Amino acid sequence: MNNTILQFKGIGKSFPGVKALDNVSFEIKKGHVHALMGENGAGKSTLIKLLAGIYTNYEGEIYLDGELLKLRTPNDAQKHGISVVHQEIKLAETLSITENIFLGNLIYKKGLVDWKEMKHRAQAMVEGLGMDLEVDMPVNQLTVAKKQIVEICKAINHDCKVLIMDEPSATLTEKELKILFGIMDKLIKDGITIIYISHRMEEIFNLANTITVLRDGKHIDTLPVKECDRKTLIKLMVGRSIGNEYPKEEIDIGDVILKAEHLTRKKVFKDISFELRKGEILGFSGLVGAGRTEVMRALVGIDHLDSGAVYLKGKKILIKSFQNAIANGLGLIPEDRRQQGLVQIAPVKENICMVGRNKVTRHGLIQASMEKDMSKHYVDKLDIATPNIETEVQYLSGGNQQKVVIAKWLLEDSEIIIMDEPTRGIDVGAKSEIYRLMCALVKQGKSIIMISSELPELLGMCDRIMVMHEGKLVGEMAARKATQEKIMELCT
Amino acid sequence: MDTIKVNDRNTAIKYVGQQLSRFSKEYAAVFAILIMGLVFSFMSPYFFTAQNIKNIFLQCSALAIVAMGQAFIILNGQFDMSLGQCVCFTSAVAAYLMKIEGINPWLSILVALLLGCLVGLTNGVLFAYFKIPAFIATLGLQMICRSAAKIITNATPIARLPDDIAFLGRGYIGIFPICVIIMIALYIVGQFVSRKTRFGRNIYATGGGAEAAYFAGINIKKTYCLTFALGGLLAAFGGIILMSRLDSVSLTNGNLYEFDSVIACVIGGLSLTGGKGKVIGALFGVIFLIIFFNGMTMMNIDPFYQDAIKGAVLVIAVLLDVFRNKRSK
Repeated sequence: MNNTILQFKGIGKSFPGVKALDNVSFEIKKGHVHALMGENGAGKSTLIKLLAGIYTNYEGEIYLDGELLKLRTPNDAQKHGISVVHQEIKLAETLSITENIFLGNLIYKKGLVDWKEMKHRAQAMVEGLGMDLEVDMPVNQLTVAKKQIVEICKAINHDCKVLIMDEPSATLTEKELKILFGIMDKLIKDGITIIYISHRMEEIFNLANTITVLRDGKHIDTLPVKECDRKTLIKLMVGRSIGNEYPKEEIDIGDVILKAEHLTRKKVFKDISFELRKGEILGFSGLVGAGRTEVMRALVGIDHLDSGAVYLKGKKILIKSFQNAIANGLGLIPEDRRQQGLVQIAPVKENICMVGRNKVTRHGLIQASMEKDMSKHYVDKLDIATPNIETEVQYLSGGNQQKVVIAKWLLEDSEIIIMDEPTRGIDVGAKSEIYRLMCALVKQGKSIIMISSELPELLGMCDRIMVMHEGKLVGEMAARKATQEKIMELCT
Repeated sequence: MDTIKVNDRNTAIKYVGQQLSRFSKEYAAVFAILIMGLVFSFMSPYFFTAQNIKNIFLQCSALAIVAMGQAFIILNGQFDMSLGQCVCFTSAVAAYLMKIEGINPWLSILVALLLGCLVGLTNGVLFAYFKIPAFIATLGLQMICRSAAKIITNATPIARLPDDIAFLGRGYIGIFPICVIIMIALYIVGQFVSRKTRFGRNIYATGGGAEAAYFAGINIKKTYCLTFALGGLLAAFGGIILMSRLDSVSLTNGNLYEFDSVIACVIGGLSLTGGKGKVIGALFGVIFLIIFFNGMTMMNIDPFYQDAIKGAVLVIAVLLDVFRNKRSK
């Protein structure tokens, strides 16, 4: 078979006490989009790091174009035509697009930087991808999507054969995704092979030719996308079928607990009114930038409201600060789990007890034993996978980190929990656990507001869905009657 | 052992690495002190004598109290470059009031402590509310304090202070110097506050991740202000101890304490990025520094070289910190 570009033979990689990759063998065909799937911790990123020359010590052999590949540094990988577009954008923000594309790879003429040539080439490259960008522009003026395009340009600048894309879609809007996919098409036509990692399954089925599934460091299967459907894929990844993906249960919905009237923040959102009932999951849909997060920030006192009123159980309240909102029984699970959700270097127990400090305080002092008991209680209750409660949360997987965030608000016993993209970047298995938790919460009579960019999850989990577009509320519907098409129509 | 649930394979190794790094971090300074003590004992017959050890602790006291303030601020994720001059300024005010104006010495000390708080609070407000980088804000206050100290003392030492306060720096209970007892007592309280009180935890949380702390309902601006104010208060307190020990205030009092305290914190295992380490580490760091220079003096190393060596120690300590962080990741 001559159209194989990459071949993995018996790849193994061990860390002290753990086998991250175990005898993994499969092939990747030239000019394909090859999806790499698996839950967090399945070994995807370890494999990518081998291929990118970050880990150089491993068992087995990798062949590139039939030749044994021995990489010593990431630079080596680039020389062999392997480039990575990382999940987190790593650009020099204040430098221009041109400079970023040629970063570490400047073109010289007579020992001096040849700006003219570089600009020329950068322009050609950007245009080649069908984009219209001013290459002199500093990168920090670009949207996330455009930054990603600069990243791709940077990657393909080194005579690229294999492009690895690690969750490039996580933060893009539908529209931007289409552009990204168009670019990927062009790259494939230029003979580049793409290894694609994503948690969004719709994408995989639209984009990929072949899927390789890893689980617990082992190669589970490599199969053409045509021979696979969503259910099979989930089963392969999780190792069991997870039954109903959205375990929504019918429960009695009570009285209005929170009522927002005409909330307005100039130039951000306008005239937002909604009601939340006890035991309800209320969804907020809309494109990125529609103002959903901003409404919630203002509701809980983080940002200032220009006008509007908030009623809690029929009583008008004035929320002056976030602390104030917490005291009124509101909780917020922020969008950015890494930065805002958790103190990464603090132990699990300290994160869990960070909001509900008074629950572990006696005589004005924090009681270590109570802290320990409470944390253990929630670690067990939410089934948080952690070596113990002293472990720093940065070492937990995304799904488990999110459970720690949820535990914080459970300990505080907040009545209303606002969840902003609660399942972003979390793998399938952990997602359904988060959904189950949400169900358990509303069953206890708590209420949830969920912001999400994933329509299937809104439709599957919510009772009602509010749709926002450009800072305005453009629709409200019962989730049972809603469809993806109806919502998309409203929010574009 | 706690119930261990590992479904994420990497978690297990990461955990082992974490524990190793935690151990080396918490005890590195203590080990270093012991080893260094041993080496100096062999190299100089005068090092391991009761007199010299007492001297070392006496020299530690003021700096250690200041370094505790710096430790809180570093845990909070910031630096305070004004501490050294805050020591000088506040003790100059105290000395001026009690010696020149003849005001009750205790009242004078109270004024100095309040002034220290005020300097710190100003730093905190400039940083937290006006968003001036802490390094710059505290550098500004450093110069203001320096200038104020010159004006008050007229650049001449104020010596022979009232006897009422002599015991603070020169008194003994049995064979133990009172200032050393005060230092140790303060560290016990400081360590307790940092771990057991809401304020202490807020410092750690804010230093570990200010945004996450904010989203956990912690008033991070207030936390910054209080921490800087505490730093200023401890600087003033350290200044009083130093003043009493030397029985004088001159412009050299507290000189470079801001740097020495940062060095001590780093040696003591506090992470420069905040949120990690123990307050008590600063004490070990100070003891290390003082022994180090005491030993060098004993070995007749030219004092002119000592700053260079101090600089090298700082860089090496930070390198170790960076290395440890890398390994634990």
